[in-house]
Amino acid sequence: MSVQYKTIKELKNMLNEKEISYTELIQETFLNIKNNSELNAFITLNEEESLKKANNLDNSPGSGSLNGIPIAQKDLFCTKDLKTTCGSNMLSNFVPPYSATVIENLENAGCISVGKTNMDEFAMGSSNETSFYGNVQNPWGENLVPGGSSGGSAAAIAAGIVPAASGTDTGGSIRQPASLCGISGLKPTYGRISRWGMIAFASSLDQAGPMARTAEDCALLLNEMCSHDEKDTTSIDEAVPDFTENLNSSIKGLKIGLVKEFDLSKLDNNVVKVFEESKKHYESLGAEFIEISLPNISLSVPTYYVVAPAECSSNLSRFDGVKFGKRCDNPKDLEELYIKTRSEGFGDEVKRRILIGSYVLSAGFYDAYYKKAQQVRRLIKNDFDSAFKNVDIIMSPTTRGAAFEVGSKGDDPIQMYLEDLFTIPANLAGLPAMSIPNGMVDSKPIGLQLIGNFLDESRLLQAAHNFQISTDWHLKTPTGNKS
Amino acid sequence: MDKKTVSTIAYLSRLSLNEKNEDKITKDLENIIKFVDQLNEADTKNIEPLASPLEKTAKTRIDNVTAKNRKEVFLERSPKSNEDYFLVPRVVE
Amino acid sequence: MSWETVIGLEIHVQLSTDSKLFSGGSTSFGAEPNTHVDLIDLGLPGVLPVANRGAFHKAIRFGLATNAEINQTSTFDRKNYFYPDLPKGYQITQMALPIVGKGSIKIEVDGEEKIINITRAHLEEDAGKSIHDLFDGETGVDLNRAGTPLLEIVSEPEIANAKEAVAYFKAIRQIVTFLDICDGNMAQGSMRCDVNVSVKKSDDTELGTRAEIKNINSFKFIEKAINFEIDRQIRILESGDSVVQETRLYDSVKNETRSMRSKEEANDYRYFPCPDLLPVVISDNELKEIKDNLPELPDEKERRYVEESNLDSSEAKIIASSKTMANMFEGACSKTNDSKLVANWLVGDISALLNKDNIDLQESKLTSDNFALLIERISDKTISGKIAKSVLEEIWETGNDVDAIIESKGLVQIQDESLLEKIAQTIIDDNPSQVEAFKGGKDKLFGFFVGQVMKETQGKANPQSVNEILKRLLS
Repeated sequence: MSVQYKTIKELKNMLNEKEISYTELIQETFLNIKNNSELNAFITLNEEESLKKANNLDNSPGSGSLNGIPIAQKDLFCTKDLKTTCGSNMLSNFVPPYSATVIENLENAGCISVGKTNMDEFAMGSSNETSFYGNVQNPWGENLVPGGSSGGSAAAIAAGIVPAASGTDTGGSIRQPASLCGISGLKPTYGRISRWGMIAFASSLDQAGPMARTAEDCALLLNEMCSHDEKDTTSIDEAVPDFTENLNSSIKGLKIGLVKEFDLSKLDNNVVKVFEESKKHYESLGAEFIEISLPNISLSVPTYYVVAPAECSSNLSRFDGVKFGKRCDNPKDLEELYIKTRSEGFGDEVKRRILIGSYVLSAGFYDAYYKKAQQVRRLIKNDFDSAFKNVDIIMSPTTRGAAFEVGSKGDDPIQMYLEDLFTIPANLAGLPAMSIPNGMVDSKPIGLQLIGNFLDESRLLQAAHNFQISTDWHLKTPTGNKS
Repeated sequence: MDKKTVSTIAYLSRLSLNEKNEDKITKDLENIIKFVDQLNEADTKNIEPLASPLEKTAKTRIDNVTAKNRKEVFLERSPKSNEDYFLVPRVVE
Repeated sequence: MSWETVIGLEIHVQLSTDSKLFSGGSTSFGAEPNTHVDLIDLGLPGVLPVANRGAFHKAIRFGLATNAEINQTSTFDRKNYFYPDLPKGYQITQMALPIVGKGSIKIEVDGEEKIINITRAHLEEDAGKSIHDLFDGETGVDLNRAGTPLLEIVSEPEIANAKEAVAYFKAIRQIVTFLDICDGNMAQGSMRCDVNVSVKKSDDTELGTRAEIKNINSFKFIEKAINFEIDRQIRILESGDSVVQETRLYDSVKNETRSMRSKEEANDYRYFPCPDLLPVVISDNELKEIKDNLPELPDEKERRYVEESNLDSSEAKIIASSKTMANMFEGACSKTNDSKLVANWLVGDISALLNKDNIDLQESKLTSDNFALLIERISDKTISGKIAKSVLEEIWETGNDVDAIIESKGLVQIQDESLLEKIAQTIIDDNPSQVEAFKGGKDKLFGFFVGQVMKETQGKANPQSVNEILKRLLS
């Protein structure tokens, strides 16, 4: 029985009805992984352990809400005794002695972590081209990028290999690949999911989240991923609602904001057409549109490219060849140990960001760049706070276009940085945001972004689910429409 | 942004740039810095910097020892160690 | 031309918390290398710090005791630099908003008091230890100390010479030990200091260029390093050169400071707010509770000893100035009534023994229980003061119980008046010429008779009784 392209909900039913055993599901999953190895979606597989867990479940099914569901984990989450590389040569031999809280939460719910997915090195990239382990192929077309940085996770779901994956999103790393791969992905409110065990890129922006075929599946995953964690003092101490509870409630009267400053006229006509159709669809569901102004939103990308590199330059200092990870061969002294290890261990994009970060924090530049960016960050957050007085959610395209070809952005980093134009603002303000498939451009999927107010993931999921039960974009697969 | 600045920040970051890379990286950094210079457009007078989107105060822990000795687990993960210490090339002070 | 020296001290005080500043790792000293290391102390990828509230409370005690402003909201920053014993490549410290703001402390040099202002005191994590000389061609890194909470106390540049610097360091040590926030153990590195020294012409209004001498951990070395540095700088200035702003290291073997220039090259710590730690807020109630439970400080103790225990102010000062001395005094006084006698012994014989052995009271075998018993046995006339001295010496050696020593050595004082009278009479009878001379006006000879009686009784006679008996018999 094929399990390809099945949703979590569908697999749960199949398991409950004993149409398939836990072991068969995992065996099928690994078969699919191997049949799709050319995607290069995985860095490390966890086959033996996964089969053992499935076998245990066949012998005594537990009570977890996601029992036996295969999940692909972004290789940025520490997994105890399972290699964790963060897409980098630096950690090519790193086996963590502990697991991330979010991994524990998912596994405690019964999820089976089948492997670790490929990603841009240290999550720095929007195309998965910066991975030390080679780029990931988008299942929608040879030579197309899957987006990044959670590109392996997105590709694995888009190819129907797994129904679920974890991702992380610092400036769009869940939503942009979700858009480019035609799947659903949610970046929750900053602090919703513990960062303990997530290898930090930019600590004040990083947030883990679910990636799946549908908004409903995202809700099922989010229910288990969230927890207040004493080990992460930036994790929010608020009760976690049941995110599936309001999915089917009507969105009649939902006030959706459209950002005046997002100039869609610069986008491809087809992208605009897709967006306009989604608007019409939401109108038909009873939503109303209100134009809002976020006056400082155009400064989001420059703000991000100060704040994120600054934090990353410091966060990545621990990779020095002393305590874990790689060390260069035969350093003649301490300086050489540091410099050679780090120069060999990091790729160009990571180095570039570390250098920018060191620059904007260095004496004489701090006020002009870092402090200034933090001030603009507040202005951007204030803009959102005002806007959410008048609207329930904010809607925009997720990306400027559909998946592009490998190497097509040239070697101008700024062109790549602008990929995240629509996604970065939610990270700066710490707001929840998700991407759902809403159309096709040149036979490639594209996504719609919904941004919610602080801790208002439920409403995002409700709006997304309402869209999905009345459209079929999320049912499209690279091999045709899903039956 | 000149080569000297780039070499200073490269040293601060403990990264080396080979000759081939140096020009390209210098140019990239210059462009990126030019790009982020847009921030000057914003009027930020009297605006308090925002360091974290969570405008909350920290939870702290009470003072007690919870860690166990995991010396072997840690040392075996290090690139170079003996039975007691992490080892690096001799540091001369 | 006369030169004026300006000195500022940065003292690093290891706070005596059980666990580290950001992890549940133990802070205890002397463990096997790398056994007190948590995931967080190692700086593993993905770990996050959680601040230890106990460290804040200890820092606040220091602030309150030095009349400092307490910042009820304080924040953490990262100081970025590479060093093998700094696992994360940055130190978490409080740059922008320290827990303790401006305060002051009183010092005394040659009987003169002076107030030294304190700029700030902030929390930060200690680094691990690099062992340079144990392995061939390699440095070993022990992270046990990494993450231990430090309170860095920064003085204003108001210290005029080496003596004042030492007095200031001693005053800080006294206050942190009394507050029970640091064990004050210099040998174990519980207190270390960086000294900023600059020299200027007396009539110059601007400060001279300073050199920073890093990581000194004894009173003696502070004094020597400062004096060396002052001489060095004056020599440079007098030869027409200028002092270089730099970090220097004090070499106690050669008694000189030398440049650490290589390490300081292009140092730019790139401080910025630590995004993993939100601001820590201390509530009014919490602050009040710490204030209400603040341990008694030396000045208050001194006043109380004079008022309640009737000590001389000089005695009170000596006892109150040391935590262990004050504890011994208060401990003994809670078990015996004669506080004056307790004080006499502490300031006299016990202090002498401490000086002789060059140890602190807590390292001796004397307990406050045993000390109180010794005082009791003097008060109830079981032993004389002179015998008590030998009992104390015995305790010093063995730590044995006072009563056991008295009994085993047969040291009980002879109280029996008729026995003493008999002995006295025999001595008078045996020394007719001395009796004659005494009666002829040689008063000094009285001591001779007392001495003879003591000799005969091996010192066990009650001296007061002997005096009375001899006076009567010789009159």
